[in-house]
Amino acid sequence: MNKRIIRVLLIISPIIFIVSSLFIGRYPITVHDVISVLWSKLTFTPSSLPDEIVSIVWDIRMPRALLGALVGGALAISGASFQGLFRNPLVSAGILGVSQGAGFGAALAILLFGTSSYIYIFAFIFGGSAVLLSYLIGRVYKTTPTIMLVLGGTIISSIFTALISFAKYVADPADQLQSIVFWLMGSLASVRYEDILIAVIPIGIGVSGLIAMRWRINVLSMGDKEAHSLGIDPALNKGIIVICTTLATAGAVCVSGIIGWVGLIIPHIARMIVGNDNRILIPASLALGACFLIFVDNLGRIITGAEMPIGILTALVGGPFFVYLLKSTKGGGW
Amino acid sequence: MIKINEASYKYSAQNIFEDISLEINEGEILCIVGPNGCGKTTLLECILGINKLNSGSILIHNTDIKSLKSAEIAKQIAFIPQMHDKTFPYTVREIVIMGRAVHMNMFSSPSRADIEIVDECLCTVGIEKLKDRPYTQLSGGEGQLVMLARALAQKTPLIIMDEPTAHLDFNHELIVLETIVKLVKTVGLTVIMATHFPNHAFYFENNGLPINVGLMNEKKFSEIGAPSRVLNEENLKNLFYINAKVVSYQMENGSELKQIIPISTKQL
Repeated sequence: MNKRIIRVLLIISPIIFIVSSLFIGRYPITVHDVISVLWSKLTFTPSSLPDEIVSIVWDIRMPRALLGALVGGALAISGASFQGLFRNPLVSAGILGVSQGAGFGAALAILLFGTSSYIYIFAFIFGGSAVLLSYLIGRVYKTTPTIMLVLGGTIISSIFTALISFAKYVADPADQLQSIVFWLMGSLASVRYEDILIAVIPIGIGVSGLIAMRWRINVLSMGDKEAHSLGIDPALNKGIIVICTTLATAGAVCVSGIIGWVGLIIPHIARMIVGNDNRILIPASLALGACFLIFVDNLGRIITGAEMPIGILTALVGGPFFVYLLKSTKGGGW
Repeated sequence: MIKINEASYKYSAQNIFEDISLEINEGEILCIVGPNGCGKTTLLECILGINKLNSGSILIHNTDIKSLKSAEIAKQIAFIPQMHDKTFPYTVREIVIMGRAVHMNMFSSPSRADIEIVDECLCTVGIEKLKDRPYTQLSGGEGQLVMLARALAQKTPLIIMDEPTAHLDFNHELIVLETIVKLVKTVGLTVIMATHFPNHAFYFENNGLPINVGLMNEKKFSEIGAPSRVLNEENLKNLFYINAKVVSYQMENGSELKQIIPISTKQL
C-alpha cells in the first residue's frame, strides 16, 4: 500500500469509528439527528431536538467513544513501544507492572473511600509506583539490562497481584468486592467528560513523547551496546520512553480499569499491516488501538445489551481476528 | 587519533587485560590478532566506551573517552559487532539508516539527505538490491555487509570491527576487505579490527596500506608492528600453539603476496 494512503487512513479511521459509534446503541437515533446534535454542539447553538436525544448522543455515546479511542490508543502505542524497547515481541504495555499496581491502587481506594474519584488518583499513583519499583529492581547492576527490567516487572506484578487478592479477601462482599472485581475487568460504561479530562493529560503527554521518540525506538531495539555505538544513550532514552509509556498506560488504566490484550496484540496487527519500522508502526498502533476498542465497545452494546466488561470482549473478538491476519499475511516476515 | 595509556580492565576479580598502551594514527589499520578469549572484544568495547577501564585511559583526539557522551563517541567511531541478535524483521534500509542516528537531534526522523547517504553506502558494499528485504531473511554474510553499510553511513573517521569476516564466504570476505582498502585509500579511514585470520593483515600490507598487527596474548600485546615483521613462524607458534609456514608468492605484476599456511598443532 502507498505510504500516503496509509497515513491518511491512520488519521481518519479513528474519527470514522468515533462518529459511527454515535449511531449505535439500544436507543435508535437517525443520522439526521446525530448530525444535528453535533452541529448544534460545535456551533454552540441550542438544538431543536428533545433533550434525551441530545443527551444520549453528546453526554453518553460521545464521551464513551472518545474514552475508548484514548484508552485503546494509549495501551496499543505503549505496547508497541515496549516491544521495541525490550526487543521482545511478546511484551505488552503492562510488562513493568503498571496494570497490577493500578489495580491494587483502585482496590485500596474502594476499600477506603468506596466508589469515588480517589480511585483515579490511587490507581494512577500506584500504577506509576509499580513501574518505578520495577525500574529500580532492574538497576541493581547500575545499568538497566533488558532482562533485569523484565524480571523486575514480573516480581512487582506478582507482588501487586497478591495485594489485589488480599484486598478482595478483606473486602465487604456485599458491595466493595463487586466494585473491585468489576473495576479489574475494565469498563468504558458510564463515563463522563470529567473522566476524559483526567485521562487526557497523562495520555496526551505520554503519547506525544512516544510519537516524537518513535524512530529512536528502532535504534534502541538493536540492544544497548549497538545503540550506544550508534550515538543513542541507552539509559537516558530508555528512561524517557518508560516514563512516556507509564504516563499513557497509567492514564488509561486509571479511568478504564484493566483492559488486557490491546497492548499486546494490536501492535502485532499493526506490524502485519505496516511493517516493523517504528516510525510508522507507533502511529499505526495508536490508530488501530483506538479503532479496536471503540469497535469492541460498540459490539458489546449491540450483542449483549447488558454492560459486559470490555476486558472480556477484547480477547474474545481480537483472538480470532488475530489468527485470521496471521494466516492472511503469513506473519509478516517473522 | 586513539591513544591508550596503561589500560587495565577487570571483570569481577578476573583481569581481562592489563597495562595495554598503544597509539593509532589517522589512516592506519590496526589488526588485533590473538587466540579465543584473549580479551580482544573487551578491549574494543573499552575503546567504544561500552566498558569502563579500571585504570589507565583511552584518548580520542586527546580527550578521555570517560568524559564523552554516546553521541560524541559515535561521531568519531562506528562499530561492527561480532554478534548481532536480530529481533524484528526490519528492512535492510531501515537498519542501515540507523547509522544516521548520531547526526540527528532528539525528536527527529531521517531526512531525504540521510536516505541518499544510506543508498550510497548500500552501493559501496554492493547490496543495493537487498534494500527492501527483511534483514532477518539474509544469510550471515549478507547480514555482515549490512552492518558494514550501517557503519559507513555513520560517516566516522574511525571504524572498529570485531571479526568482520566471521562466517563469510570468499566473495563476501573479499568485499569487506576491498571496501576497507578503498576507504582507507580514498578518505583516509582509520580501522581497528579484531580478527582470527592473520592473513587479513597480510592482505592489507600486500595492498600497500599502513598497517600494524598487535599480537594479543596473556592479557597483553606481546608485540606490535608491521605484519611481515610480527607475523613470523615463531610468534604464531607462541600465540596459537601451531606450526605454520609464511609463504610468499610473486604476482605477475611484480608485487609480493604473503600468506600464512597453518600446518599442524604443535607437539608439546
